[in-house]
Amino acid sequence: MHLLPEQIAKALITESFYSRRLIVRIFVIVNVALLTAGMLWPKGYTASTSILVDERTIIQPLMQGAAVATDALDRSKNAREVIFGRKIMEQVLEHGGWSKSIPSEELERLIEEIKKRTVISTVGKNILRIEYQDIDPERAFRMTEKFAELFIQESITAKAAESGAAFAFIEKQTQDYQDKLTKTEEELKELRSSTLDARPGSDGEVTTRLNDLYRRIEAATQELREAEVKEASLDRQVSGEAESTAAISREGQYRARIGDLQSRLDTLRLSYRDTHPDIVQVKQQIQDLIDGINAERLRREQTKGSGRSEPDESVVNNPVYQHLRREQSQNQSTIEALTARIAELQRQLQNELSRGKRMHSGDARLAELTRDYQINRDIYQDLLRRRENARVSMNLDRDRQGLTFKIQEPATLPQAPGGPRFLHFVLGGILLGLVIPIGLLYLRLQIDPRIRVGSAITVPHKLPIMTVVPHLWTPRELRGLRWELAWLTLVVVATIAALAAFAAMRFIKVM
Amino acid sequence: MSKIEKALSRARAGGGNLQVVPAAGAVPSTGTTVVADSAAHPETISRMAKNEMRILGAADLAQRGIIQPQHNEDSAVQVFRELRTKIVQQSQGQNAVILVTSVSKGCGGTFIAQNLGAAFAFDMGKTALLIDCNLKNPSVHKLLANASAPGLTDYFENPDLDIKQIIHPVGIARYRVITAGRRREVLEEHFTSVKMKHLMDTVRRRYRERFVIMDGPPMSHIADIRILSELADYVLVVARYARCTNTQIARCLDAIGERKLLGIVFNDEPRIPRIR
Repeated sequence: MHLLPEQIAKALITESFYSRRLIVRIFVIVNVALLTAGMLWPKGYTASTSILVDERTIIQPLMQGAAVATDALDRSKNAREVIFGRKIMEQVLEHGGWSKSIPSEELERLIEEIKKRTVISTVGKNILRIEYQDIDPERAFRMTEKFAELFIQESITAKAAESGAAFAFIEKQTQDYQDKLTKTEEELKELRSSTLDARPGSDGEVTTRLNDLYRRIEAATQELREAEVKEASLDRQVSGEAESTAAISREGQYRARIGDLQSRLDTLRLSYRDTHPDIVQVKQQIQDLIDGINAERLRREQTKGSGRSEPDESVVNNPVYQHLRREQSQNQSTIEALTARIAELQRQLQNELSRGKRMHSGDARLAELTRDYQINRDIYQDLLRRRENARVSMNLDRDRQGLTFKIQEPATLPQAPGGPRFLHFVLGGILLGLVIPIGLLYLRLQIDPRIRVGSAITVPHKLPIMTVVPHLWTPRELRGLRWELAWLTLVVVATIAALAAFAAMRFIKVM
Repeated sequence: MSKIEKALSRARAGGGNLQVVPAAGAVPSTGTTVVADSAAHPETISRMAKNEMRILGAADLAQRGIIQPQHNEDSAVQVFRELRTKIVQQSQGQNAVILVTSVSKGCGGTFIAQNLGAAFAFDMGKTALLIDCNLKNPSVHKLLANASAPGLTDYFENPDLDIKQIIHPVGIARYRVITAGRRREVLEEHFTSVKMKHLMDTVRRRYRERFVIMDGPPMSHIADIRILSELADYVLVVARYARCTNTQIARCLDAIGERKLLGIVFNDEPRIPRIR
């Protein structure tokens, strides 16, 4: 049924009156149940202690950035891990008076029980609170005290161990890097000594030298080429001079002789016949001379083809020829000198090139080693700084300056039992005894489809609700109601009186 | 002129008192009493004496859940008066036959019918006749001192029985009832009989100021309700607090039909009484 709030309120009131017996019955049952629970509820004594976990000591601002304080996040969780650890639990059990010789299953159960009864919480940012509940107030006090003591002890030890381990680790790393750095330095030294050329700036020097060599080789080659051309020209000149001179002089001699002989022949013919022995002889001589000219011509032709000539003395003695010959020999020596120079320059060039190559490979290696060296040096320096930080942290922890634990509120012997008290049960019973039946009635109103409010009738045909007839109380019913109400009131009053009596008894006993 | 008319004229001549039965307020409040106003109606008295007719007093009626005119401050009384007014308005002043039925058994249809009759009787200008048509589970006879007085079934079975013999007064002026009668084996088929029709015609037409209220069975006897609704002018459906769902009510209304439906009475809303 969907009802308006005021309808619900009205319906709840009428329903409560309607179901008065049920309400009283539930009230009594709930109260009796909670009273019983209150009587049977074990008395628990709770002892608590607060530990101030202070990391903002005077040291911190001084060591800002140098020493790293342990992170304090979720401290209660850490504390729970530490306290519920087997190590502390066993000590606490012993301290609490439980014998060590109990069987392991029993021990497990006991530890679980103690864990359940121990509450570890953080109050504010830095205060850790340990609460322990026990049926024995004395033991609650002792256990709580021991918890705090062991926790502080364990925390400090753990922290010191942690920072010690951190220092050791960084120390080892530092050593490693130092070794690496030394090794790189050695390698660098070796490389430097092995490649002396490999100095800064040698590159430019090599280039200059190479350029010089190239230039010189080029010049020498040019000179050589000129000398060769000159040589060829001289050769040609020398051989041509000799041949022509020799040939011309010999032919001229032959022709002169032939002319002489011809005139003699002519003279003789005037006197003699051709068969005269002189004429024959002269003719013979002329023929020989002609043959000689021919032979000479042939020889000259042949010489021209082979390029070699064998100058005769007349040629040799020629001053031009001699001059040419002198020039030729000078030229020859120049050519040889130039050839030798070029060869030398080539050798030097090769040397220089190989030096350049060597220098470049050395450079690459050098760069690599230098890079390694720089990186290692940076890391090494950083590690050195860190090591010093770690050393300071370790010293802080060792001297108990980093994270201080102070017992803010020591455990006290609990005087009154904690947890829900008897009075809570009594008051809770009265409250629940009212809330439960009314809640049930409300629930019934909400889920029961049967109509309880006249205006909630929704029917077809728009038929009117003629009227809502209230219950007509007959005189007998009214009498009965009077009795019933009196009786129900009596029951409620009796219940409350009983509760009060029990509470008073309990109070007196406690006092 | 019928016998009743004759009797009435005699009564007017005798003392000018229309009331056959003394007013409820005048009756001693405890116990049953014999109708003793002999001066008012000698003939009636003689007949009643013959049937040993006794009626219940106001206190007994109050005990049986009947409203009393003197309890004007009671909201229940006011509610029934209001209901009466609404019906009179609906019937435009004419007398009417009203069938009262309940959505389910235990919804208090009889309670509404009885008190509606009483409310009509409170009006000086009107009389009321309540007929118990719930033959399976009759309850109107509880208003009579003599519960075994002849009723509807006796009238159907016994041809000698006259209508006036089954109309009985109760302890409220201008209020008469017809009980279901002694014979319980009689089937409801009698409702369709000529005799029933004759009865209804007679009781309705005899007095123009008479409102007839039929206390019908719950809607679970749908066949009877259909027949009875034929005899009635209006049908009033009673739904009780925390007893009926909307679905049930809607189903009943569909079965009756819109024409004669007067409306729904939501009965027995809890009320915390003032206890002195």
